[in-house]
Amino acid sequence: MDQKGLGITRAILFCRQLDPNQDANRRAIEREMGARIRFFPLPCSGRVDPLYLMRALESGADKVYLITCPEGACRYREGNLRAKKRIAYAKSLIEEIGLEPERFELILTSAGNHKTIDEITRDILAREES
Amino acid sequence: MPPKYHIHTSRAENRFQKITKSGVIAWDEGCLKCARCVKKDCVYKVYEKRGIDTRQMLESLDSVCMDCFRCVQGCPNKLIQKGINPSYKELGDHYWTAEIISGLWYQAEAGRIPVSGGGYGGAFSGPGFDAMWTDMSEIVRPTRDGIHGREYISTTVDIGRKVMALEFDQAGALVNDPPPNVEIPQPIIFDLLPWSPPGKGINLAMLEGARSLGTFAIVRQSEFSPEMEEYLPNIVLYVDGNVSDISPKILRKLRLIEIPYGKDSIAAQKKLKEEHPGLVTIIRMELTPDSSGNVSRLIAEGAEAIHLVADEYGLEKSDKPLFIKERMREIHLHLVDKGVRDRITLIAGGGIAMAEHVAKLIICGADMLSVDIPLLVAMECRVCRRCKDGISCPVELETIDHLWGASRIRNLMAGWHNQLLEILGAMGIREVRRLRGEMGRAMFFENLEKDIFSTLGKRG
Repeated sequence: MDQKGLGITRAILFCRQLDPNQDANRRAIEREMGARIRFFPLPCSGRVDPLYLMRALESGADKVYLITCPEGACRYREGNLRAKKRIAYAKSLIEEIGLEPERFELILTSAGNHKTIDEITRDILAREES
Repeated sequence: MPPKYHIHTSRAENRFQKITKSGVIAWDEGCLKCARCVKKDCVYKVYEKRGIDTRQMLESLDSVCMDCFRCVQGCPNKLIQKGINPSYKELGDHYWTAEIISGLWYQAEAGRIPVSGGGYGGAFSGPGFDAMWTDMSEIVRPTRDGIHGREYISTTVDIGRKVMALEFDQAGALVNDPPPNVEIPQPIIFDLLPWSPPGKGINLAMLEGARSLGTFAIVRQSEFSPEMEEYLPNIVLYVDGNVSDISPKILRKLRLIEIPYGKDSIAAQKKLKEEHPGLVTIIRMELTPDSSGNVSRLIAEGAEAIHLVADEYGLEKSDKPLFIKERMREIHLHLVDKGVRDRITLIAGGGIAMAEHVAKLIICGADMLSVDIPLLVAMECRVCRRCKDGISCPVELETIDHLWGASRIRNLMAGWHNQLLEILGAMGIREVRRLRGEMGRAMFFENLEKDIFSTLGKRG
């Protein structure tokens, strides 16, 4: 991933069940931000492994977000709960080697809030800037 | 008899992990820590070879798994599941379906015909090319061994104007020289791509592929670069500027040139022929409802070959567009009625996605076809069209090595060529030139429906 003069590079891993039209919805933001953002749709956020998150850091991302379905809304029953545990474990791992645990962040969408993937991403970016 | 046309294939591995139809979902939580885990028993060593491709955040698990379901059935706590991969469902669109794309990937990687092994599970009819069946009545006779071994089935076609009869003078010498013709060993040329990421690798891969297959790739005059010069004998130069801007050195090496259809296309052809009589000119025109009239007029004016181009979904340009196979049938039959069909070569393109489309469109009246998107798919394109919107390519097509790309294209074309041979063999036809316009050897869903049901509900 190219980071030269482009600011922070973010990797956004998300459960694709969140937004049925995710592929089309994220195109505008991909075009705007180019190499500064990468999206990785997952069949279920529970599929994420701490190793995935570490590898994302290794390949140049400064911050990795994992966006999951609301609690209780997982298609595979408890994928998002497992994701939560795994991100906590990954945080403890990077803390041990002296990195800030904030580099990994879990974004749990709230029930009844039907935001598209680009809206969620824009919220995250706006929050980062403020 | 000339030596058999044979395409040499060699396995060309994927650069990126392919998107598989199903994926493994395995939880670690709740593991009973059995003394002998089912994951260790995997015959394909899927779990041992596990790794992550960080470019895509994809595990190797899914692409190595062969769907034997041994681990799914064996885990005592049912922690391993397999599900349809949602990314697979989202591949391509309604026309370029996930099945078509993954079939093309397989052929490009392995150089073999995809065999499902479970028989054909799909519908027997559908839109477009799926509403057409070919007559395989001779399937019992030429064995597979025959087709690929001792029997000779020719897939050669000619591009150029044909003479209907030779004329001799009193002394027995030919009165007219026969017009130039270009022979290619399979009825496919490579077309301009409707969209693609930038980068010379893609163009060079197509040219290298065309050269090794003995066919041609169309290149825009504006995109021609000095490194393409070595491929000139396999280039069809598409004139998108002024003919006078093309250097005579380049023109001398070319065998085929393509000019856009317009009022003065015949005049342009004549001018080109005066300077380079050996050059065969193709006139490129969009497929429209008026195509049959325009084609027959061009034939009368002396055109040599006409390239009819539909959009990427095989539709002509019109408010109520007809599918390419319907329009080609109409054009072909119109020319047959006028008695001029054999005079020229018709090349059709747009929406050609599978090997069977080649045979089907030839049956509908095309002499040969031009192929575009499948060549990109051979190089791992996912038909997401991100490049069209200026977004970076998920499989980094702009960075490919042209020799790798060429071998993928060669593999795909070998698969298509073999399938064409299978169809020709099963139809009992010995050369692809005789397949052209053989509509009597095919059934069309619309016609059958009309024949069977049109009388129902009518009185008297």
